[in-house]
This record gives sequence, structure tokens and C-alpha cells, in this order.
Amino acid sequence: MGLHVVVDLSKCSGCRYCEVWCSFTHEKVFSTSFSRIRVIKDDVIGMDFPIVCQQCVQAVCVSVCPTGALYVGSDGVVRLERMKCVRCGKCLDACPYGAVFKDPVNGFPLICDLCGGRAVCVMKCPTNALSLYPLTEVEVVGVEGLGRRYELALTEFGKLLERWGVRVRVK
Amino acid sequence: MSGLSRFYGYVGRVLRVNLTTREVRVVELEEGLVRAYLGGRGLNVVRLYYEVSPGVNPLSPENKLFFGVGPVVGTGFPLGARLNVTAKSPQTGILGDSNVGGHFAPELKYAGFDQVVIEGRSSRPVYLYIHDGAVEVRDADGLWGMRVREAYEAIRREVGDPGVQIAVVGPAAENLVRFSGIFFNRSRPAARTGLGTVMASKGLKAIAVRGDGYVEVAKPELFEKLVEEVEFEVYSHEQYWPRRVMGTTRILMAANKIGVLPGKHFTEPEVPYAFEVSGEMLALRYNVKNRACFSCVVPCSRVFVVKRFSECFISEGPEYEALAGMTVRIGNKDLDKALKAIELVNDLGMDVISVSEVLSWAMELYSRGVLSREEVGGLSLDWGDMEVVMELLMDIAYRRGFGDVLADGVVAAAEKLGKGLEIAFHVKRLEMIQADPRGLKGYGLGFAVSSRGADHLRSEPFIELSDDPEVGLMMFGEPEATLRLGVRGKGRLVAYYENLCALVDSLGVCKNLAENMDILNYQKVAKLVEAVTGMTLSVAEVEAIGERIVNLERVYDVREGVRREHDVLPERFLREPLKVGASTGHVIELDLMLDEYYRVRGWDVRSGIPTVRKLEELGLRDVVEDLRRMGLLPG
Repeated sequence: MGLHVVVDLSKCSGCRYCEVWCSFTHEKVFSTSFSRIRVIKDDVIGMDFPIVCQQCVQAVCVSVCPTGALYVGSDGVVRLERMKCVRCGKCLDACPYGAVFKDPVNGFPLICDLCGGRAVCVMKCPTNALSLYPLTEVEVVGVEGLGRRYELALTEFGKLLERWGVRVRVK
Repeated sequence: MSGLSRFYGYVGRVLRVNLTTREVRVVELEEGLVRAYLGGRGLNVVRLYYEVSPGVNPLSPENKLFFGVGPVVGTGFPLGARLNVTAKSPQTGILGDSNVGGHFAPELKYAGFDQVVIEGRSSRPVYLYIHDGAVEVRDADGLWGMRVREAYEAIRREVGDPGVQIAVVGPAAENLVRFSGIFFNRSRPAARTGLGTVMASKGLKAIAVRGDGYVEVAKPELFEKLVEEVEFEVYSHEQYWPRRVMGTTRILMAANKIGVLPGKHFTEPEVPYAFEVSGEMLALRYNVKNRACFSCVVPCSRVFVVKRFSECFISEGPEYEALAGMTVRIGNKDLDKALKAIELVNDLGMDVISVSEVLSWAMELYSRGVLSREEVGGLSLDWGDMEVVMELLMDIAYRRGFGDVLADGVVAAAEKLGKGLEIAFHVKRLEMIQADPRGLKGYGLGFAVSSRGADHLRSEPFIELSDDPEVGLMMFGEPEATLRLGVRGKGRLVAYYENLCALVDSLGVCKNLAENMDILNYQKVAKLVEAVTGMTLSVAEVEAIGERIVNLERVYDVREGVRREHDVLPERFLREPLKVGASTGHVIELDLMLDEYYRVRGWDVRSGIPTVRKLEELGLRDVVEDLRRMGLLPG
């Protein structure tokens, strides 16, 4: 996966600020049906789960697109060329993350374009639950001799760090 | 004012559903009403006033239920997610009105409506599914009898969309318990004044909404700038972090410190075990995650886990009113059991504030030997006995035994038993919230004059807790106005915040932003209205909208018989000084404050009826005519 928006689930409050401001930034209207990020919620168990494009390097949405309307740009970001799109919906079905949405008015796919690198969802998120990954990388040095338990802990904690936009590199 | 070329901020449509005839009408939102009342609460009350005539039985088909959304809702404005529900109240017989957050209000707009009006009564249980500008009246035979959570899950499954927002009533409402609420996606109720009871009386179990629509604002650049300003003010506010960590539950410790807790039915304003049942304790041992209403940047709601083996559960909340109600008010020191009781109250679909009053009222009478064990159905109603409480909650919701006595509210219970009326803590039959007005005099005045009965959210004069005389001097020309134990200037204080509350309830914005954090003032509201709707209103015009709504609500209540003599507080608060805590020695000097309040309001001081001059100044000429016809205009 390339540069993409990552989510710290423990911080997401489910306010959907990302959704409305994504919609406004791209479509100039406030809505949750025109956004490229969606929070799936369950009010019984307090679930708030933002779904957003992972910017796969081998993007399935791109490979199933019959007309070449979807492509990966030189910056690694998946883009749509509307002129070529036939609105077949194959990309919606193919995305393993469910991160391709359908414009309810014209049927074109809605996919995150990272707002040119300053993703408005990340900028607006009130709880710091969203980050633009990889924000940064941290190196840990000389940990080989610290034992199996340390390694295990590092692997698990590294997953958490990734949700904060930090990747651990063992050197 | 500039013209509304189109309804920026609004959808521009009102849905009317007559459940008797199954007739559905979609009508255009009237521009004149929008200019005078904005939306939400204002739009609801003006329709209630004109469409539900005086004397109508609140549980008859002639009563109407209004769901109103303001222009700000559905935009990306912070804290702009509120829905207002209105009807004639079966609990009080006057204005029934309740305001709720969550995600329902914006979804209703995206589904195509600024307001929904429910009329008539269905002969069979039904629920409404409103989506994309249309409505289906669906069979709810199988849902009738279900508790709140079960009904929510069943409808969500039937609609087949996790994004659906659902308002349901529980079994208490079906059994016409007078203080039943409407519960939105399970944990967010519009609970006060018995609106769930009205909904159930219409055979309406639930309303589900879902929509792919959108809201446009008139001046996007101005709007974005305003949002950035508000975000900054929120994030840098001293109350931001406490609110995020504890929500309103932080008030419990604060109220203990200033001696205004409702401990054991307002006999213990300070309790030694406050910390054990506080918001701090919840944050320390229970809370696992924050949640927020739609488009809100202050996630003040909390998901908590009760970690007691074999009794563990996960849920959301509580707020201060529920927390203090199920702990100190009924003398309960066990937080786990309080959380469980709150969960049950919500699942049965009742207003936890009214519940806490009927329980604590009965407990006080029982502890003083006024009520015998036989009279309370053989229960041992001792302070803090949560097993009995759990049993009684079920009995209230299903109207069994002593529960049936309590199910019509505290005044009705006292009337039925022929005792305890002097300690029935209510105003206009609405049970009082969890704060002792002897130590919060502005709040006390607010309870007395509130258009829906004893409640703080009509005025929320939070600023009196600042105890800063300079603020009072600056805002109201009277230093005492912002001293919680002061008396002078409270009329001005309460009138000012009542108008602001009416205004923000009509915009669809949360009171935390206006009254509590004092960020959204009249100047900002004027700018916000301009950015969202395109209407350029002066600050004075904006203030007049709030004042107009308060006056119309007052006239509605006057029409139902409310006068100055009903703007009272229970005797205990007027005559018995507090004996312990930081407000020791105080009673509430209500009459002095009332005189000032009516004068500030431009209402007749003797009768409490608005004067012709005030009503005409606010453009309420029709209303003057109505009052004249009814012979209600003072000299």
C-alpha cells in the first residue's frame, strides 16, 4: 500500500466530520452520500469504523476497470478519468475494503484522492483518529539481543503505531 | 433582509403524515415562517400553536407530533446536529418539547425534509420509513411490545442498512406511562414531557430515516471561515478537555462542591460518597472510548464497560441527569448498579429524570413512615435498595402494582394516594432535574418560568456558576446576576439565556456551544444565519427570533391555563434553608426574581401574561387577537 489515510479505531468518535467535509471539498455540498470516506457505525456496541481507500499498489479496482478509467497516477494515487468511465460498478464490487462508493446522483465511483496530499478528512478530524500514512518512520536500533518477548511486543505494538501513522523499522 | 432565491440551509419541504387516513402530503416550507422562526423548535411551536387547539386531550388523535430540524443541521457546522420534538404534553398538559442530538436530524434532512408532522392515530401499530423524499407506512404488529434496543435492532435488520437512523418508543410509552421518551438509535432520548407517550398513543412504534440528499450553504467561504473560528474557540476552550473526558458527568463532583446535589430527594446537598459515583470515577474505571453526535468536534459521549464478572455489559453514556438520578437522588452508592438501572430505564423507554423523582419521592415518604409497606405494594423502599428499584422500574413501565401509581408522574401519584403533594418536586407537573435551586438561583428561576415545566435546558444560565461579578456587571448591569447565590439581575440573566436557547434550538445547534461554552453568541448567530441561509439579519433581529419563540410558547401555555401562580417552586426550596454544604442557609427568593423577570420580559407582573405591546413588537398580531377573543388580556 502506498500513501493512504490510516485510522486509529480507538480514537474515532463517529462524528462523521470527515464525511461532510470530504463531500464539501469535492462536491461543494454537505452530505454523507458524496464522501469518499464513510464511518460504519453500530450504536449498540459503540462501533465507529471509518472506511477509506488504502491506495493499494496492486489496486483491484484499477485492474477490474474495463475501460481504463481508473488508473494509478504517477504519485501512486488512484484516480478516475470520468470521460472513460461507463459507470459499470465493477470497481465498487471488487474493492476488498469496500472503499469505493457510488455517487447517488450520477453513478460515478467516488474514490479517495488524498486531496492532493492534504487530505481534508485528516485535517478536520476532531480526535486525531485519522493520519496520512506514512507520516513518519522510526528506527529502533540494536534490539536483536532483547529476546523473543521483546520481539513479540514490538510486532504487536508496531501495529498500534501504524494506526498512529508511524512505521517501525528495525535496524 | 435579502430575498431567499432558494432555500439554502433548508431542504424546503415538510412531510405530513396522517395516521388515521394514511394520507401523506409533502408541502413546501413557508418562507415567512422560516424568517420569523428559523426552524427546529421555533417552527414546531408555531405549528403546534396554530394546529392544536386549546383543551385538546394530548393522547387523542387531535394532538400532533412535530419533528423539526434547523438550517444548520447537516452542514459541517460543529455541534450542529440537534432535532427538536414537540407536541402537547400528556405529562403536563402544556407545551411538550424535547431536544435530542445524535445522527437522526441530519439524516432526516438528507432524506428530504426539514420537518415531519404526525397527525391522527393508526388503528394498528405502524412505523414510518422515510427515505429519499418519500415515506412508507409499514406494519409494526411484530414490533409492538419490544424494548428500545430490540426494536432498534429489528428495524435496522428490516431496512437492511447500517446507516439508517431510528427513533423508537419502548413498552413504557405503549402502556401510556406519562413520562416516556422517544429513543434515537437506542441511547439518545428526547425524553422530557412525555413525547414518547404521544407517539405511542398514535400507534406509531418508530420512525426510520435514510437519505442520499445534501445541504447547500449560501455563502461557502464565509461559512468555512466561521467554522474555523468556532473550531479554534472550541479546541482552546478551558472546558474542552473536561467535557471530552467526562461529558456532563463532571457536574456531579462540581455540584457536590457547591452543595446543590439532589441527595436523598433534596435533603443531602452534599454527600461523602460523591467521588465513588462521579464522572471522574467513570473516566477512571469504566470509559473505554468517546463518541460524538453528527458533525461534532466535542465528543462528549462515552462508551463504558461495567467489568463485574457475570454482570458485565457495554453501553454508552450516561449523562449527569441520569447519573445523579440513579445514585445520590435515591441514596444509591453503587455505581455498577446505577449504570444497570439507567440502562433499564432507557431500554423501557422512560425519562430518567422523572423516574428519579417518583422513586426518590416515594422513598422519602416511606422512610418517614408516611407511606406504609402495604401502600407501596409490599416493597421495602429503602434508600439505595437497587434490587427494589429494578423491580419497581419494571412495575412502572408495565403499570403493575405500586408502579402503576407512579406511572402518571409525581403529582398524579400524590393525588392518587392523597399524600406527599408538598414534597412532590415538580413545576407545572414536570419533575425537577438534579440540581437544588437554593444554591443556583438563576437555575431556580429558570425552572419556575420554563415553558415546559421544571427544567434547566430552557434557560441554562450556566454563566452564574462563574461566580464572577464583573461578568454580571458587563452583561446585565448587575454584579449579582452572575453570582450563583445572588438574586438581583436574575430576571435579566434568565430572559437573556432563554432567548438564546430558543434560538439555538431553532438553528439545530447544541447548547454546549452557546450556553455552556459561551462561544455561539448573538453576533455569531447572525453571521451563521447569513452564511448558511443567505438571510442578512441584524443582531437585534436575531435576538427577536429567540424572544418571539419564548413569547409564543408562553402564550401557548397561557392558553392552556398557565399564569404567574403556576410559575412556582416546591415549598421546600422556598422555606427550608439548606442545612449542609456550600450553600448552607439559603432558600430561593423566587418572588423577587419573578417580578424582575416579568418586567424584563414585558409581561404583566400580576398575571404573567405577555402584554399587547410586547407581542405586537414581536410581530405576533394574530396571537394578540386570540388572547383578546379568549378574554385573556390584562387591563
